[in-house]
Amino acid sequence: MSVRETEGCGREADVADHPRRPRRRGQGELEALVLSALRAADGPATAGWVRERLGGDLAYTTVVTILTRLLAKGAVTRERSGRPFAWAPASDEAGLAARRMRGVLDAESDREAVLARFVTGLGPDDERLLRELVGRSPDEGDARGEGDPRGEGDARGEGEG
Amino acid sequence: MGVFVFLPLVLPLTAWPIARLAEQHLHPRTATALLTGVAAVMVVCSTVCLGLVMVVGTAQLPGNPLPDGWSDPEVRAAVPYDEVAGKAAVPALAAVIAACGRTLWRHARVRRRAHRALVGLPGKRVAVLPDAVPYAYALPGGGRDRVVVSTALLARLEPAERRALFAHERAHLAARHHRFLLTVQLAARANPFLRPLRTAVSYTAERWADEEAAQVVGDRRAVARAIGKAALVSRGTPAPTLAGLAAPGPVPRRVAALLGPAPTVCRWPPVFTSVGLAMWGAAAGAAVSAMSSANSAVTMIAILHAATPL
Repeated sequence: MSVRETEGCGREADVADHPRRPRRRGQGELEALVLSALRAADGPATAGWVRERLGGDLAYTTVVTILTRLLAKGAVTRERSGRPFAWAPASDEAGLAARRMRGVLDAESDREAVLARFVTGLGPDDERLLRELVGRSPDEGDARGEGDPRGEGDARGEGEG
Repeated sequence: MGVFVFLPLVLPLTAWPIARLAEQHLHPRTATALLTGVAAVMVVCSTVCLGLVMVVGTAQLPGNPLPDGWSDPEVRAAVPYDEVAGKAAVPALAAVIAACGRTLWRHARVRRRAHRALVGLPGKRVAVLPDAVPYAYALPGGGRDRVVVSTALLARLEPAERRALFAHERAHLAARHHRFLLTVQLAARANPFLRPLRTAVSYTAERWADEEAAQVVGDRRAVARAIGKAALVSRGTPAPTLAGLAAPGPVPRRVAALLGPAPTVCRWPPVFTSVGLAMWGAAAGAAVSAMSSANSAVTMIAILHAATPL
């Protein structure tokens, strides 16, 4: 059961009657599921509602735990409405992903960088040097006789996905 | 076997000259492949030899599980300075295994967590994350390679520079650069003499992606500007200025290389130039390393076989 299937398609009954127990999900996946369920609600919703919405195969305490974790991350807000809390999303999926990604990146020390990152840190003298290099205006550069013959390539139109 | 068993431990020194010269004289693609290959051969050889010395060392320890015959004088005579070397090899090999295991585990964990962080996002190849911190990453594996970019970085780049950024990250993914990087990282963990190769490969892999991006975008200057801007906006707290003392870091060297002409795809450089000598030196070092570790391994197995009561 993916996020897209449960999200905003109005087939709660369908989902609730799902016969097989789904495979074990990762923590991030559950958070995304809960968050997308919350976003599909009209206004704040209770944990019980979220559980129903997700097909009822999660324990009530699991849903509350996930909501609490999302609250700690600032991804949801809650207010007391009668006895249970009413929960509402604070940011969208991209915002939540950004928050989680930052957590991953912050935990990774630069020295032992595991992911290829676009630029590495700058040394003491690098900033000045870099400003000199980048600050050079294009015509100055071309006047140095290093015009790139491939500059007219038709690859320019290539868009990014 | 004699002193040959120690040779592979220090032969990585023969690769230092090429690690220094490759980035200026070889095409980044050639340099990355060559240096990674040399590092891989040398690290396997040096670890095998460490293992052989370790067996002799372990056999001397009281209460060890190895056959008694393995601590016979004939076996110990195979390793020079067996008392010291053998005992030193035990913790050394343990440290190598622990360090490599930790590197692999960290690598897997970061990749797993990074993929998990993106789970809720629709399945496009590019993940643009709303974040005030500028960053861009190539995230391989997990069933789908992805480029991760923050909006803060994209907002500061012009269209041509954005194309350069994406082309750079896609080049990392398409050429599986993470495998080269992981190989040299493990090599540097297993034998500290291989550290200069790790530094060199992490630079040449970036240069390789830069050159690919320049070819895709068709504008070397745009790639240079993208790198320069990205570095300037993502710099942390300004480092204390020691003007003139520090050698230029990797980022200015990349930008300077892009402002210059495209590197020629390498023909094997002539022997009697500094880079040719360095390359042959590294190749010879790797070959000698392979031969002496093979020689040591065969000798050791023969001796141990003879010493094992059947």
